[in-house]
Amino acid sequence: MRRILLIFLILGLTSCEKVLFEPDLATSDPLKNFDYLWNEVDRKYSYFELKNIDWNQVRDTYRPMLSANSTDEELFNVLAAMLNSLRDDHTNLISSFNVSHFNVALRSPENYHDRTIEEYYIPNAWRTGSLKHDFLSNGDVGYIRYQSFALGFGESQMDLVLNRYRNTKGLIIDLRENGGGSIFNVPKLLGRFVETKTQVGYSITRNGPEHSDFGDPENFYITPSERVRYLKPVIVLIDRGSFSATTFFALATKAFPNIILMGDTTGGGGGLPNGGQLPNGWSYRFSISQLLDLSGNNYAEDGVPADIEVAFDWTDLTKDEIIEKAIDEITK
Amino acid sequence: MNRNTFYTEFLKRASLITVFLFFMGLQGKGQANDNFVIPDTLSPTNYYTQLSLGLMSPIYRDFATSPLYYRGFGLYGSSAWLKHSELKERVFKMDVGFSTTSAVFPESDFINLNGSATWVNLNLSYQRLWKLKSISNIKNNVKVGGVVVISQNVRLNNSLYNNALGLENVSNAMASAQLMRDISRTETKQLNLLIFKPILKPVKRDVRFQINVGILNFNYRPGYAYSYDSELVGTETNPFSWALSNYKWSMNGWRLNTQIEYFTYLPNGNARSLAYVWDAAHAPGKFEAFQMASHRIQYTLYFNRKKR
Repeated sequence: MRRILLIFLILGLTSCEKVLFEPDLATSDPLKNFDYLWNEVDRKYSYFELKNIDWNQVRDTYRPMLSANSTDEELFNVLAAMLNSLRDDHTNLISSFNVSHFNVALRSPENYHDRTIEEYYIPNAWRTGSLKHDFLSNGDVGYIRYQSFALGFGESQMDLVLNRYRNTKGLIIDLRENGGGSIFNVPKLLGRFVETKTQVGYSITRNGPEHSDFGDPENFYITPSERVRYLKPVIVLIDRGSFSATTFFALATKAFPNIILMGDTTGGGGGLPNGGQLPNGWSYRFSISQLLDLSGNNYAEDGVPADIEVAFDWTDLTKDEIIEKAIDEITK
Repeated sequence: MNRNTFYTEFLKRASLITVFLFFMGLQGKGQANDNFVIPDTLSPTNYYTQLSLGLMSPIYRDFATSPLYYRGFGLYGSSAWLKHSELKERVFKMDVGFSTTSAVFPESDFINLNGSATWVNLNLSYQRLWKLKSISNIKNNVKVGGVVVISQNVRLNNSLYNNALGLENVSNAMASAQLMRDISRTETKQLNLLIFKPILKPVKRDVRFQINVGILNFNYRPGYAYSYDSELVGTETNPFSWALSNYKWSMNGWRLNTQIEYFTYLPNGNARSLAYVWDAAHAPGKFEAFQMASHRIQYTLYFNRKKR
């Protein structure tokens, strides 16, 4: 018995991490959750200065709306409104009953109608992996629809697609309403249309508590693919629904003379989002970096403008004015 | 720690220890057969290959992404090469723990979240111990020395969105002290359990208590923003270097490890043991801390490879 007690004593004294660690911070207290999120954003969000946001003022506006007795729904609404003041679709609050969005695409006219393209332009399109494609304008133009950078494509699949259009005069790559995805698919796709390794921009990331604290610029290069490439004119279609990785893609095309952006300004999303949790278990994310062009301008967060602006005419759904303009540009 | 939390923690720990002691008791009874004798094959120096399996209960918290503790249960396995004598001991060990965990936070009266994370903990360690003759005797062998432990965590947690992948390395040079007490039963003994009166034969047994305390504590933790848009060089970008971009080594924090192990020896010189192991580390890094601890019960087989 004495031995057993001794074992209990030794193990009890040496296996209590809670005594050694800092206190448990989990809490459903609305004010503590508000303060936690406000501080996380304050320390790490990357676009305060570009967007001219007074974050202290935001706290003073929203914190008084809460009390220790606020319900989950009230807390969510206040935190969501606070995050939406950042005007950034890489910023979300995620609870089990709702997800907050700023939804930049809804703040501008829509410029893409899938049915019009399916019915009047590519009714017999090939679907090769995540790429939907076919000939336009009697075979003079190739059209490739890539709906999301979250969807990958095989190198062999891309070889097949580009070989199919090797005798065309130019190519249309439709990235309208492409909400982004994996950034690694950006150089994978763009590398098929360039001749030389080219620096296309920079990225900087928060590295300190001041809103202007950023680390050294990280270079963003596009390198030519060693597989099938297409070096004739390429027109990339974009709109406000082209977000995140698509904004990266659009910014990178500015360095290549054979690629033209057409449509509307992209939706932005030039900052890499992070992710985290609040003391009540809800999740959040927000941008912690900035995408810069070669001159050091950070307009990408507000969207990369089209080289040729064209709008979709919603009074005639048998025609896509943006595709028509792209065909004209390639065949003129 | 409030009073309720203290009692909960105490009860959890007491449960684990009770399970450990229960199996210790079973092991002792398991030896009560006619074939079991004190092995005469043990040499002054023995070389063992060691295989362990166990159950573990980890707890961890990464302040860079969440203020919440993650708790769970998982499986543990290890392999080690051990050289053991009365005077010194040398161990090289590789082990892995694989656990499913979930965040601990207050229940909502509106709707509760569900979600789990995966925690993989890989360790390499090398230990050397030497006997302290001045405080050892025929029953108690006290050894001191050191152990180098390299721990790599891989965490996957979809609740953290773009920070879903968590990586950290915690490496420590630790001072070690070990007490090995010979608790062999040297005479036949009969228990009186009312109906059952088992006869327990003589058996060689040891119980070992070891404590390791971090002296040099290193950790490899993410930079200020945790995730980074690091250099992107076309399709040649190495995803591994991308994932570890801006990680930095720090020398800070602490690590503490204790273990109690109960050995029985087989006639052929092999051995088996049951152990309760606790490991805790605090890695402040340069910006935000990572904390982890695990409780583990493990069963180990020691295969005597070579006798000298």
